[in-house]
Amino acid sequence: MLEAYIQAYNDAVFETDKQTALNVVNQALQNGFSAEDIVFKLVIPAVEQMMAFIERDPDANLAQHFMTAQIAADVTEKMLEKFSKPPEMVGRVVIGAAYGDLHSLGKRIVSGCLKSLMVDVVDLGCNVSAERFVDAAVAEQAQVIAISAMMVHTAIGENGSLKVRALLKERGLEDRIKLAVGGAPYRFDPELYLKVGADAWAADGVNAAKAIVELIREVKP
Amino acid sequence: MNADDRSAAADPLVSVVCGDRMRTVPADPHTSVRHALDTGDLRVRAACGGLGTCGACLITVLEGEFNPPTLAERQKLLPEDLAQGRRLACQLYPRGPAKLYLEHPAPDSAWKSPDSACRVHAAGNPAMGDYPFGVAVDLGTSHIRLSLWQRQTGRRIGSRIGVNPQLAHGADVLTRLDAERLAAAESLILAGEARQAVIEGVRDILSRDLGEITPILQQVGKVLIVGNTAMLSLICGAGDDSLYDPANWQASIACVPDDLAAWRDNWRMPHADIEIVQPLAGFVGSDLLAALIAADITALPAPAMLADFGTNTEIALWDGGRIWATSVPGGPAFEGVGIRNGIGAEAGAIQRVELDEGFLRLQTIGAASARGFCGSGFIDAVALLLADGVIKPSGRFAAPQPATGLRLEPDNPRTAIFASDIDIFQRAKASTAAAMAQLAKFSGIDLASLNSFWICGSFGRHLQVSSAIRLGLLPDLSRGRFQMLADASLTGCERLLLAPDPGKFTTGIAQRIRVVNLGGVVEYENRFIDHLRLQPFGVTE
Repeated sequence: MLEAYIQAYNDAVFETDKQTALNVVNQALQNGFSAEDIVFKLVIPAVEQMMAFIERDPDANLAQHFMTAQIAADVTEKMLEKFSKPPEMVGRVVIGAAYGDLHSLGKRIVSGCLKSLMVDVVDLGCNVSAERFVDAAVAEQAQVIAISAMMVHTAIGENGSLKVRALLKERGLEDRIKLAVGGAPYRFDPELYLKVGADAWAADGVNAAKAIVELIREVKP
Repeated sequence: MNADDRSAAADPLVSVVCGDRMRTVPADPHTSVRHALDTGDLRVRAACGGLGTCGACLITVLEGEFNPPTLAERQKLLPEDLAQGRRLACQLYPRGPAKLYLEHPAPDSAWKSPDSACRVHAAGNPAMGDYPFGVAVDLGTSHIRLSLWQRQTGRRIGSRIGVNPQLAHGADVLTRLDAERLAAAESLILAGEARQAVIEGVRDILSRDLGEITPILQQVGKVLIVGNTAMLSLICGAGDDSLYDPANWQASIACVPDDLAAWRDNWRMPHADIEIVQPLAGFVGSDLLAALIAADITALPAPAMLADFGTNTEIALWDGGRIWATSVPGGPAFEGVGIRNGIGAEAGAIQRVELDEGFLRLQTIGAASARGFCGSGFIDAVALLLADGVIKPSGRFAAPQPATGLRLEPDNPRTAIFASDIDIFQRAKASTAAAMAQLAKFSGIDLASLNSFWICGSFGRHLQVSSAIRLGLLPDLSRGRFQMLADASLTGCERLLLAPDPGKFTTGIAQRIRVVNLGGVVEYENRFIDHLRLQPFGVTE
């Protein structure tokens, strides 16, 4: 029933045309669909379709990747205000770029996908120290720490994931807080996440969000 | 606009043949053949400033009309030489299309004369005493620009532009930082290379424009160097990881060489005060400070914006009280780096694309056959293809293109544009445009109210502002508000070198600068994503 809206929404996302995508959502609202329907039956399937599509399309560009996540996050955020009762969130993640790393955009795609999957995201920004990751995860009662690293030295460096793992161990938090990583170096070496002490990694935004949701389920009763 | 009409078909040209090489220059009756050739690779020999006193720049007229032989030529050349068409290139002014033969060119050199006019007019300072010569250096990532001055008289002896040998170590500053991180020993070698490049440029000026070297080097009293932080750090021989340390990104980094005596000794300039103008922050160099001095930004009616397009693009906004400044990556695309058929602004580079009765007309530098795009030509091409619906605002081609790309000239593979090229350009333009919008937001200024917009960097010299506006690289202001400032950083460095009270400039401007690091500013990231779309500025704000 929402198929036509999903198609129109994804056509707009494909064209990186944010306004048209928002218009489709508003049209669906006016025609009686609930905010919950729009998130669960329109946005989430649409993001999954679009990510799968542009992963296969060699001509897909960065603008399309970002817009897919950005528009989904924007719409979800707007719809949450209209939910009839507060939505049950899946869990909470603290996310950030590794110490010494200023590349912040990769994690934004993941954040956008996480938000549309009903995960609370606490974005710590760039150049985040290991201590800050762990302290924030404890303070926010997050189930997952997600670390983006776009350069080899920030991925494998001693102040990055390795130190977060060491701190989790030292403070006895390993059962409560899981560690996920992502970024270019991990795509080059799919085993690298193990070497930096992470519990999971993924190659793209949608799969990263799904992997994080699984980690949340592991530790959250 | 600084329209560059060197390649316009109607202009008469002088072609210079030398063995199997040939170069064409515009037949400008006010520019000597020597000066015209000095801007390129094929140069005449020279050992004086173009006064006809050294007689080294011999050249033979094969065809065409020139000015009659000057007094200097009649003193240097025998009547039978003159009768055979032998002339001195520095005394020779074309009066129409012509052909010349150059038997003995100058040895190949990395250095050329810039083809932009000098903007600094110095009064001269009689107090300069025994060491009146001074050198201004702009140490850029891809090019080094420098000029030699007689500070006592305020005369510019000569200026040069050359490729920075550091360019071989990586396409952008970050790669170079990786290179720097390798080893302290290597960073000393890199410092040595950069210093060697600068002194070779100075020696090129001395040998060609003064005719003597060592005695003048001993009279150099000052060398002033501006540049981006990475380059300044390299030339100082900083063998540590200071640029890698996040603690240094926002604070100012001291670029102070610890081997000044050895440096002076190496350059044979025993009396030179070699000074590095300190960068503003880890990611904003003193080249931006110099460009702001060149534009005299605080004397301009506010608000005014300045953008120095280069490997990194620095952007500054003068709001009447403060100068907001930042630096964004992605600039290499504007210099043709990363674009599959991208090349620098050199002969054969497509520098402009226009629509002429339904057909695309390519203008190349030196009117040579097209060898690739420089930044301005690429931007023109994308803007025209967007207007034509061949490229969509998302940055994708409307229809799939062959693996050989979309060729503007069907038979010339070097005119092909690929989807990945547009993607790279979108990132560069989005990071730049979003930074302009973000600085405006920080200062509470509406970009539409900008009184002037200064475009620095060689990229700006060929840029068609209308194309940049159509793609959303520049805000949509009336064309008259855009000002081109070629060699801005060198110009600012020269002002500092020659000013009786340089501290007035640096403190007057530097104290007002507020450096902003946009890394991790969520609002900026949102803007970046919105600005990836190819559409005029402001639609998405």
